Amino acid sequence: MSDHNISEHDFDKFAEFFYRKTGIKFEPSKRYFVDKRLTERMRETGSDSFRHYFTTLRFQASGEELQRLTNLLTVNETYFMREDYQFRCLIDSMLPDVISRHDPRKPIRIWCIPSSSGEEPYSIAMYLLEEWEGINDWDVELIASDIDTQILATAQKGIYSERSIRNVPASWKRRYFKSVPGGHQVSEDIRDAVEFTRINLSEPADVRSMRNIDIIFCRNLLIYFDDKSRKVAAEYMYEAMSPGGYICLGHTESMGRISPLYRVKKFPAAIVYQRPLEAK
Amino acid sequence: MALKKSRKKNTTQSQNEKRDCNQIRNELLSDDASSRRWAARDIVNCPGATHMLLDQLNNEEEPSVRQVILSSLTQLGDSEAVEGLVNCLRSEDASLRNEAIEAMKQLPEEVAPIMATLLNDPDPDVRIFAVNILESLCHDDVEQWLVSVIRDDEHVNVCATAVDLLGEVGSEISIEALTGLKDRFTEEPYIQFAADLAMKRISGD
Repeated sequence: MSDHNISEHDFDKFAEFFYRKTGIKFEPSKRYFVDKRLTERMRETGSDSFRHYFTTLRFQASGEELQRLTNLLTVNETYFMREDYQFRCLIDSMLPDVISRHDPRKPIRIWCIPSSSGEEPYSIAMYLLEEWEGINDWDVELIASDIDTQILATAQKGIYSERSIRNVPASWKRRYFKSVPGGHQVSEDIRDAVEFTRINLSEPADVRSMRNIDIIFCRNLLIYFDDKSRKVAAEYMYEAMSPGGYICLGHTESMGRISPLYRVKKFPAAIVYQRPLEAK
Repeated sequence: MALKKSRKKNTTQSQNEKRDCNQIRNELLSDDASSRRWAARDIVNCPGATHMLLDQLNNEEEPSVRQVILSSLTQLGDSEAVEGLVNCLRSEDASLRNEAIEAMKQLPEEVAPIMATLLNDPDPDVRIFAVNILESLCHDDVEQWLVSVIRDDEHVNVCATAVDLLGEVGSEISIEALTGLKDRFTEEPYIQFAADLAMKRISGD
């Protein structure tokens, strides 16, 4: 007979394991959310108890079940100005540091991967125009990449729901959006400022094309990779960056568990990771 | 100045050129670290790749190149790669040892056949490193290996490392061995404490 009950001990054991594997920490306050998804997977996999399911999760060589569960336990919703403390950090800390040693004849290069449906690169573009005085003195290239060509096409159209733009300041909304059938479209100037490219972060030939990137936003992507792929992806991004360049991960992610190549940099607004300046 | 799209193609011609294996081998010895990293990635499709990567791993001083070499060895994952990583466990270079441990954690199926040998190595440090590998080795036999360590290993530090891990991954089948461990090391307070803690965790108290 199946016993899909999850005891407090089971939850703690699972939470510790999941944290080590993904960097995502579930506090007891998230029990309802986690238990519901664990029970669903136990039922789907035919596990007769938490113990049985946990054994599969921990020892399955392919890691397939852990990936499925991870997908269920991560929220994919994206929207404008999401985790915008990192954009504040971009303006206040990362860019001033980057330009202090940057050749003024060359553009600053910012790379968003994954682009998803475009909310993040467009948010950055707006932040740069609205909040960064340096935009008067520097050229900035904004590149947004995704493996999914369909989502890139959606991003290029730049049409969003009211919910997606709910955190955009009203004055920015007036300046950078217009109402169109189906929602709100990002202005042509902003859309034209972002270069959308298809890149598979696990494909050497794709990543080899990326060079001299000063700042990378790679948020909530690596949690979907297995350990090997995550490490390799971190190594590719290292290659794409200029020495002293920065990388921003999602707030639940930590480079320390992925690769030792980067240095932790604590800025007032955010913790980010830096390719060491002296690195060859 | 402004936001602008890149005017030049990101990909240069030389980056797109197919390189032959001789060229890649030479680049593995280049003075430029970036060239060595790319060579360490690209060489995986060349004959004798594992041997060349292991040679370079032992001579490479740039940490970023070593990381890429280890990723490529993990990708290759053949017996020669595993043997080379095992040899790194005996290195005097602590960074190289730790890097090898991390790489071997990624190779559960390849490391499994030699795990018993590693856990019986005459050098207790190598046995401790083997237990460290088990920490994240995704393999069905992890608990059984740990049980064999706490049942048979005579070195207290090896057993202490294993019992810590059993507290996390152990189940009821470990209880008997944990009790036996306490009986073997009655004068070792840490073993008494760690074994009790492991049993408590396993029984869910």
